[in-house]
Amino acid sequence: MFHWLEKHPFFFAVGVFVTIAFAGLIEILPNFAEASRPVIGTKPYSTLELAGRNVYIKNSCNACHSQLIRPFKAETDRYGHYSLSGEYAYDRPFLWGSKRTGPDLMRVGNYRTTDWHENHMKDPEAVVPGSIMPAYPWMFTNKADIDTAYAEQLTVAQFFSVPYNKPVPMKDGSTEIVKMGNSVAEAHALALEEAKAVAADMKDQDVKDAVARGEIPEIVALIAYLNSLK
Amino acid sequence: MNKLYLWGIIITAIMLGATYYTVVLTKGGLNGDIVNMLAIAGAVALVIITVFVVIKYVRQMQTDTAEGELADESWDNIGEYKNPVPMGWAIMFLGTMIWGMWYFMVGYPVNAYSQIGEYNEDVAAHDAKFEKEYASITGDRLVEMGESVFLAECKVCHGISADGIDGKAANLNQRIEEKSVKYVVEHGSNSKLLGTEMPMPDRNGLFNANSGALITDAEIDTVSKYVAEGFPANDTAGAEVFAGVCSSCHGADGRGMDYVAPNIREFTPALVTNVLTHGKKGVIGKMPAIDRLNAKQKEAAAAYIISLSKGE
Amino acid sequence: MENRPLEYDYTVAKMFMLTTILLGIVGMSIGVFIAFELAFPGLNTVFGEGLAEYTNFSRLRPLHTDAVAYGFTISGIFATWFYVGQRVLKVSMAESKFLMFVGKLQFWLYVVGVAAAVVSLFLGYSTSKEYAEFEWPIDIAIVVIWVLWGVSIFGLIGIRREKSLYISVWYYIAAFLGVAMLYLFNNMEVPTMLATSPAGESAIGDWLHSVSMYAGTNDALVQWWFGHNAVAFLFTVPIIAMIYYFLPKESGQAIYSYKLSLLSFWGLMFVYLWAGGHHLLYSTVPDWMQTMGSIFSVILILPSWGSAINMLLTMKGEWQQVAASPLIKFMVLGSTFYMFSTLEGPIQAIKSVNAIAHFTDWIVGHVHDGVLGWVGFMIMAALYHMSPRVFKREIYSKSLMAAQFWIQTLGVVLYFTSMWIAGITQGMMWRAHDEFGNLAYSFIDTVTVLHPYYAIRGVGGLLYLVGFFMFAYNIYKTMTAGRAVEESELANKSPMGA
Ligand code: HEC
Ligand code: HEC
Ligand code: HEC
Ligand code: HEM
Ligand code: HEM
Ligand SMILES: [Ca+2]
Ligand SMILES: [Ca+2]
Ligand SMILES: [Cu+2]
Repeated sequence: MFHWLEKHPFFFAVGVFVTIAFAGLIEILPNFAEASRPVIGTKPYSTLELAGRNVYIKNSCNACHSQLIRPFKAETDRYGHYSLSGEYAYDRPFLWGSKRTGPDLMRVGNYRTTDWHENHMKDPEAVVPGSIMPAYPWMFTNKADIDTAYAEQLTVAQFFSVPYNKPVPMKDGSTEIVKMGNSVAEAHALALEEAKAVAADMKDQDVKDAVARGEIPEIVALIAYLNSLK
Repeated sequence: MNKLYLWGIIITAIMLGATYYTVVLTKGGLNGDIVNMLAIAGAVALVIITVFVVIKYVRQMQTDTAEGELADESWDNIGEYKNPVPMGWAIMFLGTMIWGMWYFMVGYPVNAYSQIGEYNEDVAAHDAKFEKEYASITGDRLVEMGESVFLAECKVCHGISADGIDGKAANLNQRIEEKSVKYVVEHGSNSKLLGTEMPMPDRNGLFNANSGALITDAEIDTVSKYVAEGFPANDTAGAEVFAGVCSSCHGADGRGMDYVAPNIREFTPALVTNVLTHGKKGVIGKMPAIDRLNAKQKEAAAAYIISLSKGE
Repeated sequence: MENRPLEYDYTVAKMFMLTTILLGIVGMSIGVFIAFELAFPGLNTVFGEGLAEYTNFSRLRPLHTDAVAYGFTISGIFATWFYVGQRVLKVSMAESKFLMFVGKLQFWLYVVGVAAAVVSLFLGYSTSKEYAEFEWPIDIAIVVIWVLWGVSIFGLIGIRREKSLYISVWYYIAAFLGVAMLYLFNNMEVPTMLATSPAGESAIGDWLHSVSMYAGTNDALVQWWFGHNAVAFLFTVPIIAMIYYFLPKESGQAIYSYKLSLLSFWGLMFVYLWAGGHHLLYSTVPDWMQTMGSIFSVILILPSWGSAINMLLTMKGEWQQVAASPLIKFMVLGSTFYMFSTLEGPIQAIKSVNAIAHFTDWIVGHVHDGVLGWVGFMIMAALYHMSPRVFKREIYSKSLMAAQFWIQTLGVVLYFTSMWIAGITQGMMWRAHDEFGNLAYSFIDTVTVLHPYYAIRGVGGLLYLVGFFMFAYNIYKTMTAGRAVEESELANKSPMGA
């Protein structure tokens, strides 16, 4: 049979394809529907948080930071409750990472704060002596891309039914609504409102001034995102 | 002995030495942790198997000769022997396949194992072990334990010597800094330092009983210095303002009153525990609540901080 | 006519040889640079604060991985295909204007694609998925390039003289099909400009941006089904294609066993795809999928070792060749590193071992055992063998090649021993509790302890890079200053200068 296949390239290729293709189906499909169901308390990202998430991706923070807490005592001691599948329901793409050059950030919003991030992103060594994390000073001047974040919200709402402007159940039985603007201008206004809250806890005068002028530096969006990781 | 084996042993020895070194480098070594042991065993097996299997084949390059029946075909002059597959390889391939099926269907109880279940057991065992021990940890041992908590959890913000890293967090070597006192007196404070919601009023609510007027700028400066310096006996001006404005809540000596106001003269276990439970927001910045510490760890952290500000 | 020896046309092969070398230099130089950035973070700003946005570790890391995978390795695969394909199918590219055109088109599109990829990664356009960072327009370009390669493969096969396909061709076909399937499914993205706001605005924001079709755990599953097999179909399958041709050809020995080739091939095809779960151990994917990934990883040892053993046995009785020829040394040591990493991988895929190894430098060590010791060595060996035949000149210097071999071997050894120590140390430190039941180390303690190993790894990488420059120089001199050779000298062993 194999000798025959080796003389009939078309059937050979079909044979190879079938052999490699069906494992994928069995491995991936069975869990597909279930894994995408959000657990209670998981909210979609706000416009500003999403813009911050895109800053995170743009700078490949995931090259050094995981967002996956494995169920080990040592890991839950360090980072908090182990990860649950539904907590990632709104993560497109997922950001688990595969290398922990720096610590896991899945729940960093629980144990670091705005002013700490501000100091740390500007100069990690100044806060954590011996840190090998690069400094990201340009984030204090580059402007966050709110338009694209808004386009992303629209996309996931339209194509994947992500519940913006709809009540989302919370752990305490209440509901919350994550707002999404009706237009680009409205999206900007919403993001700015959130940015002001973040900037209020920051020290950098240039950033505060920029936000007061209606601009949103990348660092503000990034910190909003990091604070949302809980 | 053949030079090859010598090389094999040298390489193996180097890698095993490296592996041993990693164990020594880690506090507690293998720590009785089954995961550590399996990982090290895997590393050791990897080196030994690869080195000696490769040597086996290299020996054949040195001593054996190629032979067998050639297939009819040749591609670009590359021939092919019709040799059988090496027996050991075939048996192991078959063996692993059978093992795999057995393991998945029978050996591994497909739905009975759960990594979360394993985790729960692990945590229970860990907690049981330390719960017993915690009761006996007091005094200096408690401070020692607190130091270990501090180094793992707190030093990223407060710095290794707890000095607050140039004002990025509170300096814990003293009860409180002047600028913090000043800020609190001007703006009030609302950080659940007593464990429950119990705000301190801002300057518009602070009357000086001696003068019968609201606290003044000068008085704020005076009293802030007095508090931050730890209630020095020779600072009579400060003591006077304190007695007039603050003592009604914080007590004549600044050591606080239950349910009314916290001790602002020295750290207390209750204060530190409350900060760790609720976080704290002030002029320096915001400290998050550190929820994942248990009660004993918080107590220990407090003991450590108290030992620091006593100048020990 | 029939009796005249076939004149193979290596035009396209030569073009891809060039990009193999250039992109190898680019990718590995960045690799060395980012390795030193981890040891000495000051290097993040060494090109100035202003440029740090583009030269810091995180921006450069995807450039390294993609330059070596999609640049160096894929170029090497294409270069060898356009060489080996003709010879084992006994048909010349010159016989078909169409295939020649398709081959050149593939090359030029590839060059454009690489340029676009480099620029976009530098600017921070990334979808974050490892080895699939490119945004959708580049994905489309990659698909087109890949389809063109498929046309070349099957076009050449269509007009072949040799009825039966040689083992190498099996592997090239598998590489083609595997990557096509994996890449397509993992890159299902929706460009965000397709959305319309309730106010009627459209094409909002950056037109290059997209979101993944899959979310969270599903996205992870698809990504690592892809990621694991990208390793298989880029760093393993086509490299086996190379060794099955170049080792017997260079040594003049016949393949040890057809049956072993056969079983290894179909075994590898069958088993590889199931093992992707080992990248997701202890994650939120169901336990049974993880277990399946572990089990198949262990089974995978055998079909992997099958090919390597077949190669080592092909050299049975030929020690004098191994001793004398640096070119054969590359291939024999390559097989050895292949065996090492395909045993290391399965061991790291055991759940309890992965509990330590995952997220640490031990994985990075494993990666580079494979890519430096196996992929890199094989591609360089292939190009060394091809050079005298495509340029009709003797390899410029054998002693340079021998020196290169030892320097690079030392480099790989330093790389993997340092990452071995770093990874296991870090993994164990993360888990450690002290006598009070507290975590024994804060995270930063587990970072500073790695400094010496990061420095050693950097030195190891630098040695490897130096070796690669020696390789590039040797090939360059071969092209320009090597002694012209006769056809008769090219039957097996490559002619080499001193
Ligand atoms: C070269 C690797 C590297 C890169 C790239 C990197 N980090 Fe880090 N990061 C570290 C290391 C190492 C630490 C631990 C030491 C420290 O706190 O600085 C860390 C710590 C952190 C922490 C503190 C978490 C904690 O629990 O203490 C945050 C938050 C963080 N990084 C965010 C980021 C963000 C956001 C980016 C991208 C813009 C980024 N990092 C890029 C290496 C990196
Ligand atoms: C009406 C009662 C009241 C008076 C009067 C008062 N305090 Fe307080 N003070 C409090 C309470 C309650 C808190 C705790 C607030 C919290 O939980 O954040 C507090 C907190 C503080 C703190 C913060 C301690 C820390 O660890 O950060 C300082 C410092 C302080 N008081 C200083 C003063 C000084 C100085 C005066 C006099 C000028 C004064 N207080 C007058 C009730 C009072
Ligand atoms: C993310 C940073 C961060 C971490 C982690 C952190 N702290 Fe703090 N901490 C702060 C900041 C900032 C303040 C000052 C808040 C203010 O008053 O402005 C503070 C204040 C405090 C205070 C209050 C001092 C006062 O004046 O009342 C105590 C006590 C304290 N920290 C103890 C700890 C201990 C113990 C830990 C670890 C278990 C810890 N902190 C971890 C940032 C941090
Ligand atoms: C039997 C064969 C192999 C098995 C079972 C295997 C297994 C593994 C495992 C378990 C991991 C670590 C996953 C994690 O914990 O993050 C891994 C990572 C990796 N391996 Fe292998 N490996 C094999 C062969 C190879 C070979 C030959 C190469 C390259 C030539 C290779 C390249 C890689 C790469 C690049 C990664 C890193 C993926 C990432 O980015 O996280 N592997 N492999
Ligand atoms: C000159 C030698 C090289 C050096 C110094 C080097 C260095 C590095 C460094 C520092 C990293 C990042 C590791 C981390 O994040 O901690 C890395 C990752 C990687 N490199 Fe290299 N590299 C070299 C050559 C290569 C080659 C030739 C290839 C492929 C053919 C390659 C493939 C990869 C891959 C796939 C990763 C990702 C690993 C992962 O995510 O686990 N490297 N390399
Ligand atoms: Ca990786
Ligand atoms: Ca893509
Ligand atoms: Cu894999």
